[in-house]
Amino acid sequence: MSNEHQPTPAGDAGTAIVAASMVIFGTLAITDTYEYFDFDSAVFPRTIAAALVLLALVILLQWVAQRTGVSTGAETGEPVESGGSWPRRIALVAAMLGAALAMPWIGFQVTALIAFAVLLVVAMHDPWTPARLIVYPAVGLAIVMGFYFLFAKLLMVPLPVGRWFA
Amino acid sequence: MSGLEAFLAALTPLNLLLAVIGVIAGTVIGAIPGLTATMAVAVLVPFTFGMPPAPALILMGAIYTGAIYGGAYSAILLNTPGTPSAIATTLDGYPMARRGDGDLAMTLACLASVAGGLVGALALLTLAPPLSQVALAFGPVEYFWLAIFGLSLISALSEGSLLKGLAGGAFGLLISCIGVAEVSADVRLTFGSQTLIGGINVVAALIGLFCIPVLIDLVATPGRHLHVAAEPRGFRLAEAVSVLMRKKVNLLRSSVIGTIVGILPGAGGSVAGIVAYSEARRSARPGEHYGKGDPGGVIASESSNNATVGGGFIPTLVLGIPGTPPDAVILGALLVQGLRTGPSLFTEKATIVYTFIWGLIIATVLMLPIGLLLGRYAYKSIITLPKALLVPSVAFMTIIGTFAIRNSTSDVVIMIILGVIGWILGRFGFAAAPIVLGIILGPIAEQGFVQAWTIGSAQQDLVGMFFGRPISMAIIAFTVFSLASPLLMRRWRLKPEIAHVE
Repeated sequence: MSNEHQPTPAGDAGTAIVAASMVIFGTLAITDTYEYFDFDSAVFPRTIAAALVLLALVILLQWVAQRTGVSTGAETGEPVESGGSWPRRIALVAAMLGAALAMPWIGFQVTALIAFAVLLVVAMHDPWTPARLIVYPAVGLAIVMGFYFLFAKLLMVPLPVGRWFA
Repeated sequence: MSGLEAFLAALTPLNLLLAVIGVIAGTVIGAIPGLTATMAVAVLVPFTFGMPPAPALILMGAIYTGAIYGGAYSAILLNTPGTPSAIATTLDGYPMARRGDGDLAMTLACLASVAGGLVGALALLTLAPPLSQVALAFGPVEYFWLAIFGLSLISALSEGSLLKGLAGGAFGLLISCIGVAEVSADVRLTFGSQTLIGGINVVAALIGLFCIPVLIDLVATPGRHLHVAAEPRGFRLAEAVSVLMRKKVNLLRSSVIGTIVGILPGAGGSVAGIVAYSEARRSARPGEHYGKGDPGGVIASESSNNATVGGGFIPTLVLGIPGTPPDAVILGALLVQGLRTGPSLFTEKATIVYTFIWGLIIATVLMLPIGLLLGRYAYKSIITLPKALLVPSVAFMTIIGTFAIRNSTSDVVIMIILGVIGWILGRFGFAAAPIVLGIILGPIAEQGFVQAWTIGSAQQDLVGMFFGRPISMAIIAFTVFSLASPLLMRRWRLKPEIAHVE
C-alpha cells in the first residue's frame, strides 16, 4: 500500500465489516448448495462461494496485520470519504423503495407523482421561489406523464394500475 | 448481386426514411436505462409484418444499431449503461463527463460507434459464409474459457486492490447464481425469499450498481452533477477526429473484436465491450490512464459493441443461429416474412439480403449526423437541468426502466437494494465494475463449465476437454498473457530505474 493513501480508521473498520459480511454470505451460500438435488447445480456456486470466503478472509487478515502494525506489503483499495447530507441520502433510498413497494397497491401513476414530488423536495438545495414552485412541479408532471405515455401506450408495458383501484 | 445494384435498391426514399426512423427510435430507447436493444427490436417487430422483407429488415437493423449506440448516452452522462453493451463505456465515459469533457465523450462515442458498426457490416457483406464457421467452432468449453478471459479484466479494473477486485468478482458470480438454476432447475441462494426466485436480472443489477450510488451522492450535496466549461464548445468534432486518428489501432482492434464476439452465439455486445476494453487497457501506452477518463476506453467499448451488430447477423443469416439476443428476435421476424436462413439465402434471396446489408451500412452512416445532434441535445439537457429535477427524473427513469424489463416490482426492489450495497461497497474500495463483470459472465461460465464437465466425464477425458482443444488453448494463452502482462510491463519499466539507482 502506498504511504500517501492511508485508509482512515473508520474506512478501515468498514473494510473489515464488508469482508466479514462476505465471509458470512459465502458460508451461507456453501451451506445452501448442500440442499440441491443435482450436483451440477451445486458445483459452480460452491466453488465460487469458497473462493469468496477465502478472498474475504485474506482481506480480513490484512486488516488485522495492519492494525497490529505488521506490514503485509499488499495493496488495499482506498475507502472513500462521503461528505454531504445523510438525511437526504436516506430519504432518497426510502422514497425509491417506498415507491417500488407502493406501486402494486396504488398504481403506477399515483406512486410516480408522489415519489417525484418527494424526491424533488429531497434534492432541492436552493431556496424555493414562486417561479420554482410553479415550474418544477409542472416539469415533473410533464416528465412523469411523458414517460407513462411512452411506456404504457407506445411500448405497451403493463404498468400496475393498483389493487386498490382495480 | 452484392454491389451497386443492391446499394441502389437500398437507397429508395422509403428505405432511407425507415433507416432514419429506426436510428432515432433506437437511440432514444437505448438511452433509457432498462430498455435494451432486444426490447427495442421486439417492440418494433409487429410493425414490420406488413412490410416487404428488405425494408422490414432495414428498419430492424437500424433500430438495433441505434439502440446499441444510444446506451452510451446514459453511460457517459449518468454512469448508467443504457444497455448492457455500454458497461465498459461508463468506466472512462463518466469520468470524462465529470471533469467537463462530456461533449467530447459523446462525439467520440458517436464516431466510434459508426466506425465499429461499419466494420461489422462490411464483414457481413464480404466475409459472412467463411466467418460463420467461427460460431460452429465454439463449443461449451470455449465459452467457459472466454468467460474466464473476460473475468481476467478484473485485474485491470481493480484500481486500488486486486484482492478487493477479485472478491467483488466472486460476489458478482455468486449473485448470478441466485434463482432457478438453468442446468437442473434447482432453486439456489434464495434463502426462502419469493422475491429472489426469478433471479437477479443483469440489467436491473447494472442500473442498481452503477446508477443508484451516483444518485445517493448526487442528492447529498448542492454542487453540479457534471463540470461544465465556461464557454460552449460545440460538438468538438475536429478534436474527436484527431483523438480517433491517434487511437486508430485501438479503434480497428476493438471493431474486429466486436465483430468476432458478435459472431459467437450468446456472447453479445456486453462481452465484446469488456474484451475490447480489456485489450485497450492492457496495451495502454505511458500517459494513457484508463478508468480515469481516457478517451481510448470510450472508443474501445463503443466501436466493439456496434461491431457486434454486423457480426451477430453473420451466423443469424448464414446458419440460422442468432449471434446476439436481438438477432433472435429478428430471426423470428425473418421466418414470419417467409425467409429461410442458411447458406443458400445468400444465393436464392440475394436481392433481399444484400439490400438489407447495404441498408444497414446506410443506417450506420446516418447514425453520424443523427447521433451527433441527439448526443448534443442529451448533453445539454443533462447539464442544464437543475439538480432538483435531475435527481427525481433519473430516479423515476431507473424505476420505470427496471420495471419494464420483466414487468416486475421485485426487480425494482432488488435494483434499489443492490444499488445501496454497491454504494456501501464502493465506500470501502470494492468497485462496482468487477461485481457487474461477475454477474454478466457468471451464467456463460457456469453453463460452459457444466456442459464441458458433463461431456468430458462421459468421454472420460476431462483434461483433454478443458485443455486439449486448439481454440481453448489459444484463449487460455491470451488469459495468462492478459494477467501476466501488467506485472511483466511493470518489471520491465522498473528495470532501468533500478539500474539507474544502482
